[in-house]
Amino acid sequence: MQAPVLQVEGLQVHFRTDLGVIPAVRGLSYTLPKGKVVAVVGESGSGKTVQALSILNLLPPSARVESGKILYQGKNLLTLRPKALRQIRGRKIAMIFQDPGASLNPVLTIGEQLCETLCAHQKISKQTARLRAAKLLSQVGIQEAEKRLNEYPFQFSGGMCQRVMIAMALALHPDILIADEPTTALDVTVQAQILKLIKDLQRQNAMSVLFITHNLAVAAQVADEVLVLYAGQCMEQAPAVDLFKNPLHPYTQGLLNSLASVRQKVEKLPAIAGNPPRPGEVLLGCPFALRCPKALKKCFESCPPIYENGARRTRCFLQEGK
Amino acid sequence: MPAIQVKNLCKTYVRRPFLGAKVEKPVLTGIDLTLQSGQVLGLVGESGCGKSTLCKVLLGIEPITSGSVEIFGENISGLSRTSWKELRRKMQVIYQDPYASLDPRFSVYQLLSEPLQIHGLYPNKSERKKYLRELLTAVQLDPVILDRYPHEFSGGQRQRIAIARALALKPQILIADEPVSALDVSVQAQILNLLKTIQRERKLSVLFVTHDFAVARFLCDEIAVMQQGKIVEQGPAEQIFEHPQHGYTQKLLSAVPSVEAAL
Repeated sequence: MQAPVLQVEGLQVHFRTDLGVIPAVRGLSYTLPKGKVVAVVGESGSGKTVQALSILNLLPPSARVESGKILYQGKNLLTLRPKALRQIRGRKIAMIFQDPGASLNPVLTIGEQLCETLCAHQKISKQTARLRAAKLLSQVGIQEAEKRLNEYPFQFSGGMCQRVMIAMALALHPDILIADEPTTALDVTVQAQILKLIKDLQRQNAMSVLFITHNLAVAAQVADEVLVLYAGQCMEQAPAVDLFKNPLHPYTQGLLNSLASVRQKVEKLPAIAGNPPRPGEVLLGCPFALRCPKALKKCFESCPPIYENGARRTRCFLQEGK
Repeated sequence: MPAIQVKNLCKTYVRRPFLGAKVEKPVLTGIDLTLQSGQVLGLVGESGCGKSTLCKVLLGIEPITSGSVEIFGENISGLSRTSWKELRRKMQVIYQDPYASLDPRFSVYQLLSEPLQIHGLYPNKSERKKYLRELLTAVQLDPVILDRYPHEFSGGQRQRIAIARALALKPQILIADEPVSALDVSVQAQILNLLKTIQRERKLSVLFVTHDFAVARFLCDEIAVMQQGKIVEQGPAEQIFEHPQHGYTQKLLSAVPSVEAAL
């Protein structure tokens, strides 16, 4: 296994709200290997976005990292001074977000926004920046790049805006790309193009990608490794093929079974009963125990540790001693 | 008699700016669509193709530009307010986002009894309560929740309440506009199972709008594929999925990510 480029250790993030302190990420550890795509899969409220935002210290003011470390090149990003972090954010670790329309500034042209990114991190002239910007746009498959630099975001479709975001994120050849639901707001055909684009660029630049999604099928398509989050904890982590062929955690099994398939018609979907725990709900044992068809008595009493077996990590008592 | 029969329906949105000439934007350009009684018709297409506009026209929220819509043989253009009220009793709607579609200041009891009040059904209070309890049981919710408010429920439970509200008037047609796409993955399957059960039990005719082909395959008898304001292909679900004829359908189907395909 290659050396990890990013290492998250025991990350805990809490939100302070009127309802009290709500834990969003509860002791998360994982590594992002170099040149690989790791998909973080989870439902809303599972903490997948919050853990990603804490990597670049982009959390909202109400959130606080209570404990843990995020190591990049031997440095803990959580304790870095803002100035030092700015050197990394955007240049070494870039991020794209779910809604491409909302992440671009509507009153600046695409060209101005791309050049701004380039000039913020590199000492280059405006002319050079513009040339580079045009090249970046054509790299992400936008035709007549030169001309489109002068256009505004509203003149671009959703898929095109997401391409611009990708171009911007990749402008400085980052080591790591964090993609937070980058295709959720897009149509299937556009989604397929964007996924292919991310995958192609990732291979070309030997970049590591942290791909956050709620869509298991999308994860299956892009990921080398998958991390399944539930209620702020990692339930299962495994190489993608292993995870989808032979899921070990009952939650992963339940999720995969409950998916409707485009390939065959079934009479009834084997749904997971119940609802995900509400934020702030006190969880004594395993967070999934209440919905788990295979729950043991001890699952309600204490939270299982993570059991490691080769490349697989599973938080479930059923894996004990396997 | 088909539940809904749409013939050559066109809808153009017209914007009249303060200055300058009016701007016309054709959204539906000649829709032909038939929803057979007791069937589930899936309307699939990408965003902006006019799916939701079609729903609005069918529900009478937007007027027709040209063409005709017949619901149980009755042409909806030029209907009076009272006839519309009668028609809406037969035709109800479920929206995508149960966080937006339920008034947060209404208790579950108020939410569910509002349609009954409007149509003067179950005027006796204890009978109404009894009926609403049955209704909640039908959508697999605990009947004791009548006094509670939407914020106390999760997304899946809210969508069940929205379904109960749509069923309150015992409609024959249900228009479901992306009813599961705002829900968590682990909850989607529950709601899809519920919709299927209810549709069978009550022999509802359902127009099911979705962008998710897997969901459409699970629930629909027929599929209509929509592209830029037109239906490009309509047929039995099995045929559309196994032997798509139109190039656009083929393109859409091949773009759908699936776990099986990735392995």
